[in-house]
Amino acid sequence: MSVNGSHNAKPVDRTDQRAELALGALASAVLLLIGFMIVFVFSKAWPSFAHNGLAWFGGGGNVDEQLANIFNSPANPSDYVYTMHAWPLLYATALITGGALLLSTAISLLSAMFIVEFAPLAMQRLMQPVIRLLAAVPSVVYGLIGILVLVPFVGNQVISGAEKDSVRYVIQLDGTSVLVGVLVLTVMITPIMVAITTDALRSVPRNWTEGAAALGVNRWRALRTVGLRAARPAIVAAAVLATARALGEAIMLSMVSGSVGFAPNPLDGTTFIFEPARTLAATIVDNAEGLSVKPFGQTIYAFAAVLLISSFFLSFAGWAARQSMRKYTLQAR
Amino acid sequence: MRNRLRRVGLFSALAIVAAVPAAAPAVASAKTTITMSGSTTVAPLAALLARKYLQVCDRCVSFKLLQGGSDIGVADVAAGRVTIGNSSRDPKPSDPGGLVFNTIAHDALCLVSNKANPLPGLDQAGIQAIFGGSVRSWSQVPGSTQTGTIDLYTRTAASGTQDAFLKIFMGSTKVFSGASQKGSNGLVEQSVAADPGGIGYVSLAFTKNVHTIPYKGVECNLRNAKSGQYGGVRNLYMVTRGAPTGATAKWINWITHSKDASKIIGTQWVPLT
Repeated sequence: MSVNGSHNAKPVDRTDQRAELALGALASAVLLLIGFMIVFVFSKAWPSFAHNGLAWFGGGGNVDEQLANIFNSPANPSDYVYTMHAWPLLYATALITGGALLLSTAISLLSAMFIVEFAPLAMQRLMQPVIRLLAAVPSVVYGLIGILVLVPFVGNQVISGAEKDSVRYVIQLDGTSVLVGVLVLTVMITPIMVAITTDALRSVPRNWTEGAAALGVNRWRALRTVGLRAARPAIVAAAVLATARALGEAIMLSMVSGSVGFAPNPLDGTTFIFEPARTLAATIVDNAEGLSVKPFGQTIYAFAAVLLISSFFLSFAGWAARQSMRKYTLQAR
Repeated sequence: MRNRLRRVGLFSALAIVAAVPAAAPAVASAKTTITMSGSTTVAPLAALLARKYLQVCDRCVSFKLLQGGSDIGVADVAAGRVTIGNSSRDPKPSDPGGLVFNTIAHDALCLVSNKANPLPGLDQAGIQAIFGGSVRSWSQVPGSTQTGTIDLYTRTAASGTQDAFLKIFMGSTKVFSGASQKGSNGLVEQSVAADPGGIGYVSLAFTKNVHTIPYKGVECNLRNAKSGQYGGVRNLYMVTRGAPTGATAKWINWITHSKDASKIIGTQWVPLT
C-alpha cells in the first residue's frame, strides 16, 4: 500500500511544480511589463521635463498655443520647441477628479448603507445586479449621453446669456463644463464604490452591530458608528479604485468637459462650474493624432508620465490610509 | 534556488515573446496586400475606391484599411508599417525625409453655423474677426438672427482639418484661445447643430445637420468646389515612402486617372480632373 502511495505521489508533485513555475512566470512577466512601461514612458517624456524644469508644472501662457507651437516645431532637432506650462491641465485633472470623488463618496456611502441595512429583501436582490451592471457600462456610452443630452441642455437652458457675456473675451461657455464632467464622472464611478462598500458592510460580523443594538442604539447609529467604522479600509480601497478610474478617464471627459486648456477661476462665482477644463487624460486623447511629431509626442508622453506617477501615489496613499485604520477593523482582532 | 529563478525568468521571457506576434501583421500571401492607415477624412473615400478597384482588376490585390488621423498615417508610412499613409494635411517641414505626397482628390472645407442662424455669408476679414476673437457677439455680425455670445468650435492642433483652415482662412491671425477644440469633424458638426450660437468648420461630407455659410459670396457645395469658384478647398493625399512602385503605383494611378474612380470621388469630394 505504502509503495503504491509513494508511486502515485510523484506525478502529482511534478504537476504542482509545473503549475508553480508557470504561475511564477506569469506573475514576474507582469512585473517586467510594468517595469518596461515605466522606463519606456519616462525615457520618451524626459526631453519635455528637461527643457522646462519645474516650470513644466507651473502656469503661464496658453497651454493650447504651447501645444500648437510644439506641434509646428521646425524640422531640425536642435530647434525643437518644448515650452510647456501644464498647470491648467493638472489643475483641471485635480478639480474634476476631486469633485467627482467627493460627490460619489457621499452618494455611495449612503446608498450602500441603505442597501445593506434598510432596503427590503426584494429590493436588495434587484439592486445588487443592477449596480454591477452599471459599473460595467463602457465610459464612451456615458460620454455620448453627456454630449448629446447634458451638454446642449446646460449650454442652452442652464447657462444664461448674461453669464456667457460676462466672460466672453476670456472663455466661451457652451455647455461643455466642469459641471457636466463632474456629474457624468460621478455617475460612472459611483457604482464601483457602492458595490465594494456593500460587500464590506455585509462582511462586518453580525454580532458587532447586534452588540451595539443591545446597548440600545438604533439601527442607523449602530451602522454609522460600528459598521462604517469597521468597513473603513474597504471604503478607502473603493475610493482609490474609483479615483484611479476617474483619473484615467479620457474619452468621456474629452467629449463633455470642454476641450480647452483653461483653468476655471473660482473667483468667477457660480459661473466657475460652467467653465470648461481639460484633464491630462483627455488632452492625450485629443492630441494623439500628432504623436509622430517628435517633440509633440514627447510632450504627450510627459502627460502620461505624470498620470502614471499620480496613480502610484494614489495606491500608496490608499495603502497608508488603510494601515493607520487597522486598529479599528476586522484584521486587528 | 538560483536555478529555479533562472527558469522563472526564461518562462516569463517566453510569455512576452508569445504575446508579441499577435500585434504583427499576418504573413504575406502570394497576392500583394496594400495596407493603408491615417486620416479619418480620407478613410471613407479610400474604402469606396478600394471596393470598386477590387471589382475592376478582378481581385488582383488585397487591401487593409486603418484610421487614426493624418499624422498617424504619415508616421506609419515613414516607419514602413503600411504601404500608404492617408493624409488630409499638406507636407510639413518636420515630416521625415523621403516621403512622397500623392494628391488623390480635393475636399471642400465649409464654415457652418446652426440651422437657426442661417448666416448669408462671410468674407475672409469677417472669418478672421470671428475666429480671432475680436468679435464676440452675434449682434455685431451682419445678417445673423442671433444676438448672444458667439461659440467657436475648432479642431485640435494635430488635426489635418485645422491645418487647412488656418492656411486657407486665417492667414496670420491666431484663433481665439477660449475656443472649444473638438477631436473630429463629427463632433464639430454635432456641437454646432446643438448650439444656436455656434460656428465651426468641417469637411463637406459633414454638413447635413448644419447651415453651410457662403464664403466670399460662393455657396459651399460640391458644384462650386468642382468648378473652382469656392475658395476653401484643400488636398487629400496618399503618402508613400519614395515614389510608388508595382501594385501601389497601379492603384494610385487608377485613382487619379480612371473614370470609375473619378465618378466615386465626385459623389462627395472633388476629383483631380
